[in-house]
Amino acid sequence: MAWVGTRYAVRSVGRNLRRTALSIVGIAIGCVLALFMESLNRGRGELFARAGSASGLGHIRVVPAGWRGRRDPRLRLADWQADLAAAQSLPGVAAVTARIHGQVLLAVGTHVVPVDMAGVQPAIEPRLFRYVQTVQQGRYLRPGESGALVVGRAIADRLSADIDDEIVATMVGPGGDIQSALFRLVGIVSTGTDDSDTAVCQVAIEDLERLSGFTGAGEVSIVLDDYREIDRVRAQLAQHVARGDDIMTLSELAPDVEGHFKQDTAVSRFVSGIILLIVLLGVASAQLAAVLERRREFAVLSALGMSGRRMVGLIVQEALLLGGGGALVALAAGVPLVWRLAHTGLDFRRYLGASYTFQGVLLDPVIYGDFGWWIFAYVFVVAMGATTAASLYPAWYAARTDPAVALRVAQ
Amino acid sequence: MSETVVSARGVTKAFKTGAHTVWALRGVDLEVQEGDFLALVGPSGSGKTTLLNLLGALDAPSGGDLMVLGRQIAALSTHARAEMRLHSIGFVFQAYNLVPVLTALENVEFVLELQGMGAGRRTRALEVLNELGLGELANRRTNELSGGQQQRVAVARAVAARPKLVLADEPTANLDGENAEVLMHLMRDLRERHHMTFIFSTHDPRVVRHAVRVVTLVDGKVASDELKPGEPPHVIVAEDRSVPTWTAR
Repeated sequence: MAWVGTRYAVRSVGRNLRRTALSIVGIAIGCVLALFMESLNRGRGELFARAGSASGLGHIRVVPAGWRGRRDPRLRLADWQADLAAAQSLPGVAAVTARIHGQVLLAVGTHVVPVDMAGVQPAIEPRLFRYVQTVQQGRYLRPGESGALVVGRAIADRLSADIDDEIVATMVGPGGDIQSALFRLVGIVSTGTDDSDTAVCQVAIEDLERLSGFTGAGEVSIVLDDYREIDRVRAQLAQHVARGDDIMTLSELAPDVEGHFKQDTAVSRFVSGIILLIVLLGVASAQLAAVLERRREFAVLSALGMSGRRMVGLIVQEALLLGGGGALVALAAGVPLVWRLAHTGLDFRRYLGASYTFQGVLLDPVIYGDFGWWIFAYVFVVAMGATTAASLYPAWYAARTDPAVALRVAQ
Repeated sequence: MSETVVSARGVTKAFKTGAHTVWALRGVDLEVQEGDFLALVGPSGSGKTTLLNLLGALDAPSGGDLMVLGRQIAALSTHARAEMRLHSIGFVFQAYNLVPVLTALENVEFVLELQGMGAGRRTRALEVLNELGLGELANRRTNELSGGQQQRVAVARAVAARPKLVLADEPTANLDGENAEVLMHLMRDLRERHHMTFIFSTHDPRVVRHAVRVVTLVDGKVASDELKPGEPPHVIVAEDRSVPTWTAR
């Protein structure tokens, strides 16, 4: 048997159906807008993790001691094979690869281009570096192959190089001597943006070791099945990496990009907050009107001995019912909307082109929302929280009803 | 030996209206014993409702000494006054003032729920409604009841918790002659069977006819205080008060 107080609250919500319906619609609209924004925010977080890791940064990277501050490509890991094995053994790790980097001058005839050359493991690299998945001409590096080179379209154009052309790579060795090697261009990749194309210059890791004179790997990059596991995997990895080697996460590797996303998220949450505040004021206004209409009733209840605390509880119960109704309507409208956002995304290609880069990270101009069980909790928490907050002033006002004055005025 | 339910000595009440102060009560002296059935009469503006509000702990006096059920009203906090009303005082209003979205039974039950009564409150509420002849209407919403029936539900709500003191402000003002008679008989019957003290303000001669004691207020003061001839001033209190006396009629 339900408490009479609860039945009273339920039936009171039904007293003015038009006002109740408008309140529920208002709450639902606010919740759907907030849900849409939150889905995009979470999608943006996922986009940052996906784009950042796919741009070669990885979710987690093992780097040599001192690299964090100097970012010197000549630094080498203490024991890269141990680091690689440790990373591969951890649960939740999707792919691991070792790399080295070097500052190199590429030359074809009279054309010279300075590039950041990466020595990679060709069998694994395409799984971690999205840019080399789009080979426009030729092919990608083959495992065990020596002397092969893949570059981005922008570099190839600046060198006026074509597939099978021979390219001279020159760099400074450990003792300051100039060292050169001849590579054959086997593939040209095109990401769609010059910035990203300029970042692609890859050879086999052994080829770059020979050219640079530095042996060993300069980094071990790790991509996870789920980017939300970064902290857990990092903590586990810290117990196994070679002594002296350091571990950095995507946020530490690309703080500017993360800051950009965080700023966008903060702005959209601020806008969501303003929308919810407006809805909250509307609901508060409707509830206050309901309380004023029932002033005599509250005076009688007060005269009968109902405490202010119970009166507040009654109004908050009514608000929670409105919030619950608003949440259900918001879910009915919001779930299909967010599902669509998660599957077809918001397409900004019209404004940004096929792809765009920020701080060297190639970003997808189609932003997808996040869709998951969190939607239900989010909508209910927002709807209930907003309506409870909206009911506090009307509830306080009702609780302050002086029965003597209210009954005197009513009579 | 009956107890003193109300003891008022020089009670005053003033209301501020802008720059002016209106004295609604100008020194009321009144003693009410347990079991009294007292009518407060007097012209409009004489202070009947104001006095009832003070006796019901709805308001605090501006001056004088007012003890209700052994408690000094002026010394009580708002919360303490609410607790006192909830547990010791019943109210019947002129305009019934039932909660419109609740049934007759729920209106009565709600007060018992507010008191913290657990299991049995529904049975108790139903017993009271039966006693007042409303058992068959228990599940009707109050707007489906006549004025007389609504006022009887209001009486049931006021007495369900067996308060020591029941205050009624013009209880028959909206009732026809027959319903007013029925209501007054019921209240007298309740008083006699449960030793409750009833104080009601009224202009209605039908109500005055039923009263055992009539106190007339004029200009905020007690002008006369009369006992009806042939009526005991208050009911004789039974020795054993633990015996339940609620019965269905």
